[in-house]
Amino acid sequence: MQPLAHARRTAAWLLAAPSRVLVAAISALVLVLAGAVLFAWSGVYNVAASTGHFRVVDHFLRFGMENSVRARAPSTSLPPGIDESLVRLGAGHFHAGCAYCHGSPGTPISPVAASMLPPPPILTERVGRWSDGELFWIVKHGLKYAGMPGFPSLHRDDEIWAVIAFLRRLPSLDRPGYRALALGEVEPEPQRGMDVATGQSEPDAIGACARCHGARQGPPSRLVPILHGQPAAMLENALRAYAKGERDSGVMQTAAIGLPDSTVRHLAAYYASLPRPPASIETSDQAAAARGEAIARDGVPSHGVPSCLGCHGQSAAPGYPHLAGQPARYLEGQLAVWRKGLNDRSATGRIMAPIARRLSEAQSRDLAAYFASLAAPREAPR
Amino acid sequence: MTVRGRRLAAILILAALPGWAPQSALSPAGDEAERIALLSWILFVGATAILLIVIAALALAIRGAEPVRRVIGSEGAIRWGGIVFPSVVLTLLLGYGLWLMRETIAAQTTPALRIAVTGEQWWWRVHYQRDGAAPVREANEIRIPVGREIDFALRSNDVIHSFWVPSLGGKLDMIPGRTNTLRLKAERPGIYRGQCAEYCGGPHALMALEIVAVPEAEFQAWLAAADARNEPAEPKVAAGEKLFLSTGCGACHAVRGTQAAGMVGPDLSRVGGRRFLAAATLRNTAENLAGFMTDPQVAKPGALMPPFAIFTSEEMDALTAYLGSLR
Repeated sequence: MQPLAHARRTAAWLLAAPSRVLVAAISALVLVLAGAVLFAWSGVYNVAASTGHFRVVDHFLRFGMENSVRARAPSTSLPPGIDESLVRLGAGHFHAGCAYCHGSPGTPISPVAASMLPPPPILTERVGRWSDGELFWIVKHGLKYAGMPGFPSLHRDDEIWAVIAFLRRLPSLDRPGYRALALGEVEPEPQRGMDVATGQSEPDAIGACARCHGARQGPPSRLVPILHGQPAAMLENALRAYAKGERDSGVMQTAAIGLPDSTVRHLAAYYASLPRPPASIETSDQAAAARGEAIARDGVPSHGVPSCLGCHGQSAAPGYPHLAGQPARYLEGQLAVWRKGLNDRSATGRIMAPIARRLSEAQSRDLAAYFASLAAPREAPR
Repeated sequence: MTVRGRRLAAILILAALPGWAPQSALSPAGDEAERIALLSWILFVGATAILLIVIAALALAIRGAEPVRRVIGSEGAIRWGGIVFPSVVLTLLLGYGLWLMRETIAAQTTPALRIAVTGEQWWWRVHYQRDGAAPVREANEIRIPVGREIDFALRSNDVIHSFWVPSLGGKLDMIPGRTNTLRLKAERPGIYRGQCAEYCGGPHALMALEIVAVPEAEFQAWLAAADARNEPAEPKVAAGEKLFLSTGCGACHAVRGTQAAGMVGPDLSRVGGRRFLAAATLRNTAENLAGFMTDPQVAKPGALMPPFAIFTSEEMDALTAYLGSLR
């Protein structure tokens, strides 16, 4: 009992004065820190991804991650019902940004990605465990130390929701179903003389613009602009602005970054030369389109809004996009992005930004309805 | 001398040279401004005299001989000097002021020329009313004939502004939803600078204007030439016009005789003939024009025009040549 009595006496002596307690606490802390530094310095800890974690560490990390996500995730969820445009846009980005690590229906996770620690989960089995808001938070912000990146643009929640809409569809997809959504009209198998835009020389056509924007046909999603017949100069500017991060879009930044200058020029010339696809002209809301027409023609001078057709009509300069026949949902979404104060860093973006901010949400909706109701000229401009 | 000292000296010298300054209530060039200047001088001189009397009385009350101090300290001195004197002086001044300003307040006769000036953030929309024809739209520089009474119909499209050309008259507020009428006359030809005199946000200090008073015949010729359209002769000017129309300038700015019919920004039909740009902020040179179009925020922080940094230098040359040709 000698050591126990000794310890008891020491404890009584330490606790007798607050200053002694403080000194003891600080000494203990310094010892722990020194031990930690010694541990890290010695190289005893094995950082190899190949060895994995102890099971208890793995459980602890997962426990912490799940609670952190639940505590931070928004309570919002996807609107009820199936929104095919949202799913298609999400599928397009999933194929370019997510499929390499997470695999896709019919294509297993690459062994390189599967050797990460933690290995990226097969989403088909996992997405059901999370709520919409939790998935949204994970896709937007990523997970520290897990290799899961955040979304390239933190300002485009609308694009992230498209990915979530697709993730909800994912468990029910087989290989043909997935490829129909993610690749659209692009069929990468045959090796014919392929051009850059359709990207058909690459195994899975990751960078193929036509997956989302179409080539022979129009874009399958109403959230994606029709590029056919747009001025080449505008298309080049847009691609460069996305690549430089002057225009906010996680989807397009991923697609446009690193494209060589010659590719940008070829692509722009290719889409500029395409005839407009036989688009379904949107004529859903005549009244809104009529209100939009008044704004597009005369502007709203009392609010400093000029006529839209001054820059977006068919006779405008080639640096500006033609809006006739674009999908209403795409136009409305872009105007919402402008109104949020984004997209205002490229040369043409700086022109549009102050004007778009003067439009109300209702005016934007009317304008989108008007331009969507217009038939674009069928022949490709020279 | 430091820069600030030199600036201060320059301001003092300018203030002391009323006859030279283009924007000074002390260098009147019209009836209304003359009346205001006269009243101002009476006030300055009278106030100075009264101040001297008060100082003298104070000095005598402290240091004066015993009998003088007794008089100053008496109730009579307070009754006469403190009650009767100010009442009489102020009543006389008020009466005189009202009599002097009678013409400004009650202008019943209708003058031949009426110019509507509308305050905008941060420039002046100018319409010359014409009988039987559409009004002539101008901006920021107002031409008037010498020696004629002109009614300025003052309005505002956004916030309260105030129209003040000190050499020609007093200031009058421009109030949204109201039309205030100010009658002015320039007695001699010249350039009279004006300034928005009511804080109207951001670049309020850079919202100025010029009234250019010219002989009647010259004015009539200038007004009559408004509808004349001169087709661009030079290829560079023609290229500039094409750019102006295709890059959206015409959606905000109007140029008579072209498709450009925008009502958002200043009318540019005769911008080449104006002395200044951006509401009397920048000298009208090709360089300043190019700089302002590329980034208006440099010269006029807060201006509502978007920056057009999309032109090559050749394109900018053509554009400035075109705008300079609009006279």
